[in-house]
Amino acid sequence: ADVTLRMHQFLPEQANVPQNILIPWIKKIQEESGGRIEIQHFPAMQLGGKPPQLMDQVIDGIADIVWTLPGYTPGRFSRTEVFELPFTMTNAEAVSKAYWELGEELMLDQDFKEIKVLGLWVHGPGLIHSKEPIRSVKDLNGVKLRAPTRVTNAMFKNLGATPIGMPIPAVPAALSKGVIDATVIPWEVTGALKVSELVTNHTTFGDDTLYTATFVLAMNKDRYNALPDDLKAVIDANSGLNFSAFAGKQMQADDAAPRKAAMDRGNTIIDLTPDQVAEWKAAAAKTTTDWVAEMDAKGLDGTGLLSKATDLIAKHTK
Amino acid sequence: MLNWVERVARAMAVIGGIVLIALILLTCMSVLGRGLNTFGHSSLLEGLSQGLADLLLATGVSPINGDFEIVEAGVAFAIFSFLPICQLYAAHATVDIFTSTLSPAKNRLIKAFWEVVLTAIILLITWRLYAGMESKMSYGETTFLLQFPVWWAYAASFVSAVVASFVGLYCAYARVAEIITGRHYLPYTEGAVH
Amino acid sequence: MSMLELGYLSFPVLLVLIFLRAPIGLAMMICGAGGLYLAMGGSSMVLAKLKSETYTTFSSYSLTIIPMFLLMGQFASLSGMSTSLFKAAESWLGHRKGGVAMAAVGACAGFGAICGSSLATAATMSRVALPELRQYGYAGGFATATLAAGGTLGILIPPSVILVIYAILTEQNIAKLFLAAFIPGILAAIGYIITISIYVRVYPKAAGTKAPVPYSERMKALLDVWPVLLVFGLVVGGIYLGWFTPTEGASVGAAGTGLIALVRGNLNWGVLKASIIATATSTAMIFFIVLGAGFYNSFLALSQVPQELSGWVVSQGFSPWTVLTLVLIFYLVFGCLMDSLSMILLTIPIFFPVISVLDFGMSQEHVAIWFGILVLIVVEVGLITPPVGMNLFIINAMATKTKMSETYKAVIWFVASDLVRVVLLVLFPVITLFLLPD
Ligand code: NA
Ligand code: NA
Repeated sequence: ADVTLRMHQFLPEQANVPQNILIPWIKKIQEESGGRIEIQHFPAMQLGGKPPQLMDQVIDGIADIVWTLPGYTPGRFSRTEVFELPFTMTNAEAVSKAYWELGEELMLDQDFKEIKVLGLWVHGPGLIHSKEPIRSVKDLNGVKLRAPTRVTNAMFKNLGATPIGMPIPAVPAALSKGVIDATVIPWEVTGALKVSELVTNHTTFGDDTLYTATFVLAMNKDRYNALPDDLKAVIDANSGLNFSAFAGKQMQADDAAPRKAAMDRGNTIIDLTPDQVAEWKAAAAKTTTDWVAEMDAKGLDGTGLLSKATDLIAKHTK
Repeated sequence: MLNWVERVARAMAVIGGIVLIALILLTCMSVLGRGLNTFGHSSLLEGLSQGLADLLLATGVSPINGDFEIVEAGVAFAIFSFLPICQLYAAHATVDIFTSTLSPAKNRLIKAFWEVVLTAIILLITWRLYAGMESKMSYGETTFLLQFPVWWAYAASFVSAVVASFVGLYCAYARVAEIITGRHYLPYTEGAVH
Repeated sequence: MSMLELGYLSFPVLLVLIFLRAPIGLAMMICGAGGLYLAMGGSSMVLAKLKSETYTTFSSYSLTIIPMFLLMGQFASLSGMSTSLFKAAESWLGHRKGGVAMAAVGACAGFGAICGSSLATAATMSRVALPELRQYGYAGGFATATLAAGGTLGILIPPSVILVIYAILTEQNIAKLFLAAFIPGILAAIGYIITISIYVRVYPKAAGTKAPVPYSERMKALLDVWPVLLVFGLVVGGIYLGWFTPTEGASVGAAGTGLIALVRGNLNWGVLKASIIATATSTAMIFFIVLGAGFYNSFLALSQVPQELSGWVVSQGFSPWTVLTLVLIFYLVFGCLMDSLSMILLTIPIFFPVISVLDFGMSQEHVAIWFGILVLIVVEVGLITPPVGMNLFIINAMATKTKMSETYKAVIWFVASDLVRVVLLVLFPVITLFLLPD
């Protein structure tokens, strides 16, 4: 190979995202470049450090490509949080497209100016997995839960729950030992974390979605710029809007098997009616207004971000 | 000079230890708060007396918000604060299986050599920690729950790392001086005594 | 030179540095950083890693358990609680041949039931037990080897940090893995006690004798340990009943032990300072090794040496049992050089898919759990195999008068006991899977 690139990410190799998105992407790049690009995959943080450092690692050239969550470093990529606000998400494919388009317009030259962004996507609908059934907002009162993002932490605090901070691998032990009563993640992750074995209730929100989280596949800028034009073209052909849409769609598709597994175990899937969801939406609205005010105060035009994001999501949601 | 360096190293370790103890107490309070909070919401207490349950919850008992983040930031500071005393007391793990057969003079030379290298590495670590702090500062990165700037934690650790660098420089100087003058300047030249 | 060749070359270089008396953490760091420098043709990657990696390593929440348990051991030791614990164990076992060492193993097993880390168990129990072993005339190397081996019970007996990592990497049930580790963990303790009784018969001078204690005194000694039992019971019970996580358990244990010392009037400012200084030196030593291991492992991962080696192992077309044996031997060999947690993180993603498709005549889940326990044991053996055994280093640094070579000689016996147990567990998977629900 003319060029060898190192891809670093936090999940084990056999997890869904590496198996169904990253490794196929690597193979495609290698094939389409006629073997001139080789990508070495280092899963499970094999090159050292912790997940929040992935972004610095790709900027500093410790890795050439990383897959990570902008939310791992709160305060740094604040604009991406607009897609994580409660009940803005529709389906992962549409929101990923919206995320890419808004990213192109506002983030690539600002938030992400130090990296070459290859893909921006979100996971499938996030939901609540709990020991005791949670139907209405008041059922959250005093529930200790691990929330995945800065925004969801704020939201669950507003809703009366007690968010407890811990890294995601600590969730199974914390659930089994009663350190937490619930966790908030998409179905896709529940398989690997054995969540369905540890809780019996899963609260979903009908056609609405409580939240999602944003991802980014990023490349070191100098490494990208140093590629000959024909190899740049191979990377370009496999990044951007279409790739982001594919990745989001794939992650949502990966929700199906763990969801079925939970049902096969006889777990209760509580699917809220539109009336019930309305109560949640009303209660969560404060989180959104708080966020907009916070962004406005930071000079990031929260109001504009939210309206642009909602318009783009509406445009892509069929 | 040794007296003075040792006092600084010990003071640093004690400060780190007090931070560690504070983290231990904080974690215990968080556990207690979580336990009482769960008890207040439990059907047992609500069954016994709803009023008592409400009263307990009204006191606001709950786990300490962001305890996890405080522990992570605090323990990093504590461990950086422990480095100077570890170096001064030559407490780093070594294998003496081959060098024990060499002459005392050669052993002194070997020890001085590694002391210098170790000090160089600690200086390097300190410098890079400063760079890390600068980058966290420029990005405005915060923690998850408490949302305090991450660079604060780096800055606290950096202070300890600077002390570790000074102690390291003194140790390196003393070991080299030991070769030249043949006298002992450091407290524990044959490994750690605890 | 290719990266792979650099990776292979780093093994002898690391050994030479360590034998030249380089601090272990420093040697690993030099090999890791030097390897990265040569592989990348410049210092940018090393400098970039150092920017955040030291801080991140030192701020690890799960590793916080180490200084906490060390401090707990200090409080227990300096306030006289550890002495009463040992007196109790000794009063019942001490008059036997090698009895004090056996009591140390028993205490390690007890401590292992509340601590998920082998290094923390080794370090804490050494503080408690080394002075006692010395007092009763146990040979230096025998004492350190006993404690190094006993320390491995920290990860063998659940809870275990390594098992949690394995469970997450392989998507297995943590509770089942803990359950499966229980009998092998007890077997390990029994194996070490048998090893001690054989050792003192082969080397009668390695252990002093202690006069038997009358039963009335034994009962009294047993009563004296109630504060220890209270704290341990609270910590063990609390962790198992779900009152708190292991790190929180360590906090509760340290606070509880400190409180008891305070109430007993044994904890004044001077004692507190001494406890802190001792905790500080051991903690810094351990974390410096963890830091160095992190650097070295990043370099090894980059050089692809572990991948190449494991790829070779599985490409030979052997029978399932041969592959399993080769994998376990691979861990034993690598365990001589590498840190266990990093080794698991590096290799399980490569070995596990291979092992899980082989037919051992049992369900996939059972294979996964059985393999997990076997791997746990062989990486644990790595902690006490010369030349690079983390437990050996930690305990030897505490036993200043004992030469590393003496520890090496005595620990071979415990390694042999481990190997016997591995063979038993490989031949009879039922020992591991017995407690599991269907
Ligand atoms: Na354990
Ligand atoms: Na070893």
